[in-house]
Amino acid sequence: MSAAFDRFVSRTDGAISSTGEARDFFALLKPRVMFLVVVTALGGMATAPGTIHPVIGLASLLAIAVGAGASGCLNMWYDADIDALMVRTAKRPIPAGRILPSEALAFGLTLSVGSVIVLGLVANLLSAAMLAFTIFFYAVVYSMWLKRSTPQNIVIGGAAGAFPPMIGEAVVTGDFGLHSIVLFAIIFLWTPPHFWALALVKSGDYARAGIPMLPNVAGPAATRRQIVAYSLVMAPVAVLPALMGFGGLAYLIVSVVTGLAMIALSFRVLRVTEGEAAHKAAYALFGFSILYLFLLFAVLLAENSLGLMWALPKVLG
Amino acid sequence: MSEAPKRDIPPAFSPEDMARRRRRSVALALVLAGLVIFFFVVTLVKTGPAIMNRPL
Repeated sequence: MSAAFDRFVSRTDGAISSTGEARDFFALLKPRVMFLVVVTALGGMATAPGTIHPVIGLASLLAIAVGAGASGCLNMWYDADIDALMVRTAKRPIPAGRILPSEALAFGLTLSVGSVIVLGLVANLLSAAMLAFTIFFYAVVYSMWLKRSTPQNIVIGGAAGAFPPMIGEAVVTGDFGLHSIVLFAIIFLWTPPHFWALALVKSGDYARAGIPMLPNVAGPAATRRQIVAYSLVMAPVAVLPALMGFGGLAYLIVSVVTGLAMIALSFRVLRVTEGEAAHKAAYALFGFSILYLFLLFAVLLAENSLGLMWALPKVLG
Repeated sequence: MSEAPKRDIPPAFSPEDMARRRRRSVALALVLAGLVIFFFVVTLVKTGPAIMNRPL
């Protein structure tokens, strides 16, 4: 193994407790991912056909956020060896030696069990079971199995990130229907162009760590074609909420305009393949994709919960 | 008779390390206090104010 991995082992070997601070433990929860999970779960709650007491909704949202953070923590615990090898992740709390792997494991397991129990008590058993499955899917199916074994890792693993709207709907109704399945599909189709744009730029990092990301296995050209293909499917699917009556005029405009922007940025990634310009194109798509998902769900949320809905005629569903 | 296995001795913590651990403990205490309030409020909302209305 590399010198970086040796340093990682020597820093943590034999110690029984670290000097990590609260912010290091918070970093284990992947706060930026948690924020997107909160926004998408809120979208699922807001578009659900039903109502919920605001305190119960807030408490459920907290449990979902903590559950998502717990799965991120377990992912960092399991991936600490490869995180130490990649520039992008080497400063994370475990490879940097600020938190012990055993502490992260205990923290992640405690929060996983706690968040599922709390959601079951506060909301209902279905949403708790779905949260438990999401944590299992991300920590075990994706992190321990898919990530290191197939270039389709983030495609299948993307399901874990797509579940929160379904959990959100289950919190409100005790069931899930077509609305949250459409929201699931949007996030599921969004994940490959989002991650592969980053993987194109960081392919050296992934090669060093031996992770079979698509650019490293099938090559950058095939990855660029796949990014365009997924974007072409994703953008029309993202318009469906407006056609099905749970997104209004504002959602229609935002989903069409930003969807076209996603497609345009994907084609730029396909066209610009050399040098710094290629990196910039991939980074632009990666950055915009985060804004895109945030905007879609923020508008859905505003329309459905703040009374800002300018309803459109229902075309589908 | 076999010798007892040698145990790793944790490295001594510097004053700076101890200060970091203290800040961590304070943060943990705040989280626990927050959880107490969280469960109290959620219990009231779930069961309603009638939870207080019982013979002593």
